[in-house]
Amino acid sequence: MIQFMNVTKTYTNGTKALSNINLTIKQGEFVAVIGLSGAGKSTLIRCINRIHDISSGTLLVDEVDVAKLKGRHIRKFRRRIGMIFQSFNLVTRTTVINNVLVSFVPGLPLWRKLTGIFHKEHKIKALEALDKVGILDKAFVRVDQLSGGQQQRVALARTLAQNPDIILADEPIASLDPVTARIVMDDFQRINKEMDISVIMNIHHVEIALEYADRVIGIRKGEVVFDGEASQVTQEILQEIYGGKWEAEKAEMEEQAAYV
Amino acid sequence: MFDKLFPPKKMMLPGGKIVLQKRSRTPLVVLILAVCTVLSAQFTNFSFPVLFDRIHEFFTIINKMIPPDWGSLSGIWSPLLDTIKMSLLGSIIGAWIALPVAVAASSNIVQSRIVIIISKALLSLLRTLPTLVSALIATFVFGLGSMAGTVAIMLFTISYVGKLLYEQIENVDMGAFEAMESLGMTRLEAFRFAVLPQVLPGYISTSLYCFEGNVRYAAILGLVGAGGIGLLINEGLGWRDYPAVGMIILVLIVTVYAIERVSEHFRKKLI
Amino acid sequence: MNSIDKQLAAAPRNQLYLGTIAIILAALFVWSMTAVSFNQIDQNSLKIAKNIVHGLTHPDTELLFNVSKQSVLYLLLETVAIAFLGTVVGAVLAVPLAFLAASNIVPKPLSWLTRLLLIIIRTVPALVYGLMLIRVTGPGAFAGVLTVGITSIGMLAKLYVDAIEELDTRVLESMTSVGCTTFEKIRFGIIPQLMSTFLSVMIYRFDMNMREASILGLVGAGGIGAPLIFAMRSYKWDQVGSILIGLVVLILMIEFFSNKIRAKLVRG
Repeated sequence: MIQFMNVTKTYTNGTKALSNINLTIKQGEFVAVIGLSGAGKSTLIRCINRIHDISSGTLLVDEVDVAKLKGRHIRKFRRRIGMIFQSFNLVTRTTVINNVLVSFVPGLPLWRKLTGIFHKEHKIKALEALDKVGILDKAFVRVDQLSGGQQQRVALARTLAQNPDIILADEPIASLDPVTARIVMDDFQRINKEMDISVIMNIHHVEIALEYADRVIGIRKGEVVFDGEASQVTQEILQEIYGGKWEAEKAEMEEQAAYV
Repeated sequence: MFDKLFPPKKMMLPGGKIVLQKRSRTPLVVLILAVCTVLSAQFTNFSFPVLFDRIHEFFTIINKMIPPDWGSLSGIWSPLLDTIKMSLLGSIIGAWIALPVAVAASSNIVQSRIVIIISKALLSLLRTLPTLVSALIATFVFGLGSMAGTVAIMLFTISYVGKLLYEQIENVDMGAFEAMESLGMTRLEAFRFAVLPQVLPGYISTSLYCFEGNVRYAAILGLVGAGGIGLLINEGLGWRDYPAVGMIILVLIVTVYAIERVSEHFRKKLI
Repeated sequence: MNSIDKQLAAAPRNQLYLGTIAIILAALFVWSMTAVSFNQIDQNSLKIAKNIVHGLTHPDTELLFNVSKQSVLYLLLETVAIAFLGTVVGAVLAVPLAFLAASNIVPKPLSWLTRLLLIIIRTVPALVYGLMLIRVTGPGAFAGVLTVGITSIGMLAKLYVDAIEELDTRVLESMTSVGCTTFEKIRFGIIPQLMSTFLSVMIYRFDMNMREASILGLVGAGGIGAPLIFAMRSYKWDQVGSILIGLVVLILMIEFFSNKIRAKLVRG
């Protein structure tokens, strides 16, 4: 369970990214965070695994006060939280399986960390993770030879190998074409339902968000302006979240879809 | 500034349009270069008469080198191997040490500004020092012999490989690094698994290239007593035994060429 | 056997390849270790090292700043002059060789022969040229200039050749069609294309020649090398310190400016 209590985040240059956020996300939920670029979606997600520090308030993840963690404990805490990025963030010069195996690195003895020689058991676990996202056959291919959708699934497998309780996803389908985007979203949904992993996702494509997520959180200028079931989202609510720019956003999205 | 001193030339086209042409900087550059050349020539006593009068001496020496003294070949092998050993050992150790130093100098890996500044300053300081000078200093500490030469080559390798490596590291895509950190790695672990695979081919290629150059450098270190084939060259020129010097140079050319070919083969494979 | 085990078994095995390379490297390392011995390091060397560090950190400021023919500033100026004039000499000598080595200008055998000559010129160590040229000019800065000039030829010519082989020949065709003479074609078609590259290469080489010129004094060919080795041989580490500090600062400054100018040349 993730609890935001009066969380505020101000950057060192004075920009207020989040103000007075109060949220409770239960284990196993599929949450989509929507809003304009720069509204604070990314910051919200990155506070959960302490990539960003919060300025005030309390952020609890399974009763652990995230702001109070230090050094080794932050890293131990992060082991339980997977993260997926817009640009996949894989090491493209090496093979798929090597990218998945890095999930096991923090627990390894020093000589294994230095040489990069992994245990057979870990290799099997990595292959299982690849199997779950359906790209087992690509295990020994170099990442730079895969398509964008396949790369995002490698990133998903890397996260699954971590065996996380929570997956944070920062615009996971923004670099993908609509068809591939749906395949990746199906993966997210399956992982969420079958393994009871919470998914908290920033997403730009409102239609897809409404289709897949159980719950939608709308952010505008660092504040939560909507929080409810996906089925409750109406045109008026979207107008509010996107600050009257909804029509423009929608037109732009449709235009993009038309080109693909 | 230049444009204020020499305002652009105005030209009137027959149609009445006015075009501004910026004054060319070439005359000024040529003038400065010419003045510098003349001053330097005076400073260094450069004189064409002496040159034309005595340059035949130079070719006389070269003439005496050909044909080389094949009989001296047997005495060359051991110092030649020493030269190769010195450059090999210095390059291997230097390339290893360059890795941590380069990491410490990379602003995207290390967060402490002081560590970065010190490492960068150290690298450029080492790079400025001519190899022969560091070899000379090393002979005072390590005594005459290949040890001093090896140390000098190692220092140069650290500075050369280190600088190119940290430039590469700083230009690397940091996405994978962020992902590694988000799954609970320390910054050093994240470097090992996210950045190192990206820079490794460049690092090895730079080290090989540096080794090629080091063989050349190692050949002269003997002149200051730092071991290798340079000692023989020095003796040969001192005794005016030019055919022997010719032999050494011939062997050196063949060796350097062979090493360059092999190393180039592997460097091409890496890219 | 399920599909995962199958994939695991299908993993490409490059351990043999990597292992062989590792063993070769280790063998080379051990082999080259035979060249060095540590038995010459004793109490004395530690003391000398301490003296050196002390001298480098307490330089002879008198030597650094006074204005005479023995001062560091004067010697540095002489070193710069050697490097500069040497670069000019090398740059001039390299031009004909570069055209003779360019495979798009002269026949293949001639270009191959010129390249061989360039390799030979490049491999002979600078100090050997220095020792030979002293027989021509007598000891002093003049020998240094010629040495720097000859050692620059190899690299300069090689980089010139790259520029010449990338020449855009379509310009020459169009000039022929306008009716230009050969001289006009060279003056307005070729030189403008090559000039900035040549200049940039020369500045880069000047930067390197500073280092070359600073060691030529070791064989009596002028510059700051001679007083440096003299101070070392007589264990005057404070003088060594001031000379080295002057040299390092100068080389760093020249490097900084040459990088600036070259960046400007590339941008045009």
